[in-house]
Amino acid sequence: MRDCRAARMPRSLTRLWLGLLLAATVSTANAADIKIASVAPDGSRWMQQMRAGAEEVNTRTAGRVTIKFYPGGVMGNDAQVLRKIRIGQLQGGAFTAGGLAERYGGLNLYGIPLLFRSLEEIDAVRAQFDPEIAAGLEGAGFVTFGFIEGGFANLLSNEPISSVEDMRRKKVWVPEGDAISFLAMETLGLSPAVLPVTDVLTGLQTGLIEIAFASPVAALVLQWHTKVKYLTDLPVSYSMGIFAIEKGAFEELSAEDRQVVREVMGRYIQGLDREARDDNRKAAEVLARSGLQTVSVNDADVDGWRATMQSIHPQLRQRPDIDAAMFDRMLAVLAEYRRTNP
Amino acid sequence: MPAYLLLLDGLISESPDNVALLSAGAQLFALYGSRFAPPERAVTLTAKARRYGERAICLAHEPACSWPGTDYDTLVAQLQAVGARDLDALYSHAVSWLSHLDATSEDWTAVAELPWVQAVLERALALDETYENGALHGYLGILNSLRPPALGGKPDVAREHFERAIVLSGGRDLSIKVEYARRYARLVFDQELHDRLLTEVLDAPVDAPRMTLFNVLARQEAQSLLASSREYF
Repeated sequence: MRDCRAARMPRSLTRLWLGLLLAATVSTANAADIKIASVAPDGSRWMQQMRAGAEEVNTRTAGRVTIKFYPGGVMGNDAQVLRKIRIGQLQGGAFTAGGLAERYGGLNLYGIPLLFRSLEEIDAVRAQFDPEIAAGLEGAGFVTFGFIEGGFANLLSNEPISSVEDMRRKKVWVPEGDAISFLAMETLGLSPAVLPVTDVLTGLQTGLIEIAFASPVAALVLQWHTKVKYLTDLPVSYSMGIFAIEKGAFEELSAEDRQVVREVMGRYIQGLDREARDDNRKAAEVLARSGLQTVSVNDADVDGWRATMQSIHPQLRQRPDIDAAMFDRMLAVLAEYRRTNP
Repeated sequence: MPAYLLLLDGLISESPDNVALLSAGAQLFALYGSRFAPPERAVTLTAKARRYGERAICLAHEPACSWPGTDYDTLVAQLQAVGARDLDALYSHAVSWLSHLDATSEDWTAVAELPWVQAVLERALALDETYENGALHGYLGILNSLRPPALGGKPDVAREHFERAIVLSGGRDLSIKVEYARRYARLVFDQELHDRLLTEVLDAPVDAPRMTLFNVLARQEAQSLLASSREYF
């Protein structure tokens, strides 16, 4: 409908030509095309906001910086996008934390299973570590303007799951390429089944997996709510999205333009980060209304799960995709937060 | 068209159990609400369409009265019992529901309910794929291209539906090609297909029985999509 309204607007050929001429003049003056890939479909809130940001950047840099998007995953998954960035076909992308963690081990920390107990804890930790992780990523060759909350994943299943015991002998999904979750499941004595995200729906249908996990928003978008009956109210792991541009390409911009891109894209990303929480809250309500039953875990059980997960922390510290020093400081901040907010 | 809506409203309130009237009301309110009404009226009008549609299928096929709020697998199983005799009501139910979800697409409930509507459309398609000149294929083409493959979308299935919809409409329904370009070709970044479809729309005659108005609208949309093609791809 929007396109339709636009088509009805009168068009002046002269103005169009003038526009083209202006564009041509501008493009000779050090214009830069920044090509960004994203899995988010065109028309989604993410893409609407990213495009609005790109438009503002373009206007405020007088056309010197054009950000062009390849939405809907047409450029492939995180690994494929990274390859295309390496050969200069793309300059950036919207990544998952895990997708960029091979470049920088700070990115995996927020996603360590059962590390956080509440969104308040996340906020306390992110306020302190977001800038540091962004700086670390920049040191590793990617400029980011902030992180966008994906939210806490909950367990989704067809039998109520309220303890680790309930999960035994069940086939638990682990996302393809997610070595940390795999390690966590094994440590809990569970039998993980590795599948790409796109095969989970069929997996749940055929019984190849019996337990999956996702944030409320992801569960709805991926339509997993059609194949599960229970949602366990336990924040299993935290996820976030990262909008990042390859540093070399970013530094080709003038200092003034870089400042504009940082300010504008940072503002839009912050907006999306904030909206995400509300989205997940609403999506959780919708899931409950659509018939999913919420299962609570008892405190003693949760403590047991957490203690087991802590036993893998030494192994995590050894991993090249975990920044061990930062991990230790994060645990200290968490402990302090818990002490002052019992 | 508002006059027809009023007329239908009146007729339905006189015969509230008339399936044919309810089906017609569901379709007309859905159409008007989603294509012609100002955005602030779209939600109310399509909600009414949906109520008419739910009532139509409930009267035509009794087990359908318990469909609202039912779980997905149960719905899919129960749909198998709907026969071709009730296709009008089933189709009205699906398109009116879809129009309401479209009008409330900012709401997560709309995202949540899409698989349910899709199941209804798929059953209708199984009953008669040629219904309304292939419109069911058109809707299923759109639904299958809403999400990229990485998020569970099925562009290949979408393409087959769109292609079939074009064949079944004899190429006369131009809005199918516009949606094919807008949804599928943009999703998979196929500029050649995108531009070819839209050029065909611009070159085609708009006159076709019961389709002229929509074909005129489709041409306007095609023009605008084509104009933004270079920027998008």
